[in-house]
Amino acid sequence: MTQRSDAAAFGRFAVGLGAFRLEFCFSVAAGDVLVLFGPSGAGKTTALRAIAGLARPDHGHIAIAGRTVFAANNGAEPAEIWVPPHRRGVGYVTQQNHLFPHLTVLRNIAYGLRDRRGALARRRVAELIDRLRLNGLEERRVWQLSGGQQQRTALARAMAPSPDLLLLDEPFAALDLELRRELGAELRATARQLDVPVILVTHSREEALALGDAVQIIDAGRTVALGPPLTTLEQPGRGRVARLVGVENLLEMRVAARLPQDGTMVCDAGEHSLETPLADGCAVGDAVTVGVRASDIILASGPLPQSSARNTWAGAVSAVTPRPPGYEVALDCGGIVLRCHITGASLESMSIAPGMPLWAIFKASSCFLLSE
Amino acid sequence: MVVRFRRRARNEGRPTETALGALAPAGMVATVIYVLFIGLPVAALLVRAGQQDGFLAGLSGDLVLQALRLTVVTSVISLAIVVLVGTPFALLLARRKSPALRVIDTFVELPIVLPPVVAGVAMLMAFGRNGLLGPALSGVGITLPFTTAAVIFAQIFVAAPFYIRAARIGFAAVDPAYEEVSQTLGVSPWATFRRLTLPVAWPSLLTGLTLAWARAVSEFGATIMFAGNLTGRTQTMPLAIMTAMESSLGAALALAVLLLAMSALALAALSALLRRPGAPA
Repeated sequence: MTQRSDAAAFGRFAVGLGAFRLEFCFSVAAGDVLVLFGPSGAGKTTALRAIAGLARPDHGHIAIAGRTVFAANNGAEPAEIWVPPHRRGVGYVTQQNHLFPHLTVLRNIAYGLRDRRGALARRRVAELIDRLRLNGLEERRVWQLSGGQQQRTALARAMAPSPDLLLLDEPFAALDLELRRELGAELRATARQLDVPVILVTHSREEALALGDAVQIIDAGRTVALGPPLTTLEQPGRGRVARLVGVENLLEMRVAARLPQDGTMVCDAGEHSLETPLADGCAVGDAVTVGVRASDIILASGPLPQSSARNTWAGAVSAVTPRPPGYEVALDCGGIVLRCHITGASLESMSIAPGMPLWAIFKASSCFLLSE
Repeated sequence: MVVRFRRRARNEGRPTETALGALAPAGMVATVIYVLFIGLPVAALLVRAGQQDGFLAGLSGDLVLQALRLTVVTSVISLAIVVLVGTPFALLLARRKSPALRVIDTFVELPIVLPPVVAGVAMLMAFGRNGLLGPALSGVGITLPFTTAAVIFAQIFVAAPFYIRAARIGFAAVDPAYEEVSQTLGVSPWATFRRLTLPVAWPSLLTGLTLAWARAVSEFGATIMFAGNLTGRTQTMPLAIMTAMESSLGAALALAVLLLAMSALALAALSALLRRPGAPA
């Protein structure tokens, strides 16, 4: 975790809240979205609050747009540098959006502007209303808005004073999937266009993949992984991280054979065996955990006569559960249950139902090793 | 208390009136009885005042005018002090949780249930010539009992809890998370209080203010004990009514009608202000 000197916002600090302790280090460039990902109670919100100045770290430093807004040595009290929240130039959008109930949409957006009735302010508000498609709602009361409109208003309000850093705490959590995607795309475009760095907290893998330039995975107050979204979320290297990002199938196996000429190796568990990419540093007989993403598994009504996929397991459907936008099929392959994600159309055309025999097919390269 | 900013439920339809259905006839009878019970005396006061000789003379008589002026002046001063001290106090009660504050919170409402006469006696025991602080006060040349200042003391004592309680509820209804968001928008804590907390709590504050003012204007027991009944100095309207009942019914009725009008006006102003969409920002 290095701090880039061109980062628009960076810092390293520790916050203690009773028994909970967060050690946090971050760095985000202008126009980039840094996603904080992790389970509830991991410390994501606390990190945002400390950056915004709403929680006070014990020690560390935080810099935003080239200005140190917090700096303190270990245990030194009071903080050597402490910029109060209203002078940090940080936009903060909460999950509940906290729109001001006594003001209209227009006046909510204009709230943080100096000289709110001036021509400059009016132009800025009009621009944001256009950008976030709030036209026609200017004089509405905030409780007359739909969830998506409320969240867009909150975004517009946070962006109006041209913050040097935008902090978004699960801003789309209350919205339905479609709206979520739509707003996410808008956010992405807006951040790029305005060249503002964004830190986004989310629980959703899809959101992290779609919006993040980097993903930082936090667990129990510590950063456990940091990197590009695809590598961090799709091929997590460590067991704990894999569980956090929700790799659906984790198989405890043993290395049975190494096939360097194919770049693969064979792992087995009881009578099950599968091929994975060849990994350095593990010998025949070593215990390994193999991860397979549910969306990387193909379900077929029979074994494919000829295919490039190296792994084919037979099993019977033990459960079908809706998992919007598709379904999750649990396939019992004689002791090991594989979870597979398919679309509603596939479910229907194959008329998949519990008890039905099916074959799970997945490539060796879809398997990855998790070293605990 | 008025809670105005609750989010409205959409498309929930009209509530069913099952409970009301069974009790509707009883409810209607009760309504008629209650309206008569309150309305009859009020109507009687107005009718009797219209018939009374010397009612108009009473309205412009010295006794009435002096009492009116004294009541308005003292109640306005009392209210100003209550707002000045009560607002930050209520904010603290609403936002800080501590065992000491919880005890104080309970204590705040004591004057609401305490008989005013007891309050008057208690204040005499504290500030009277032979009271706890009496010698110290007279040492610096201050005598409180039976002065206009004592009227104001009595009014603050009985009226403040109404404002403080309403203000505390109003402030407690403003989630501090809103204030945090306001600050991240570049608005200082003080400006946040002025532009966010105050306007959102405004309906509660206004309601509390009206109740406190009504209580101050009608204050009788504590005043007569602690401030006495001196025309022009401590004789407020309620005291003047009692005095006038012995000599001039016309003046008493004039004062009563005036107080009734003032109360009705305050109530009308309150509901008009609360109905206005959007408080001062």
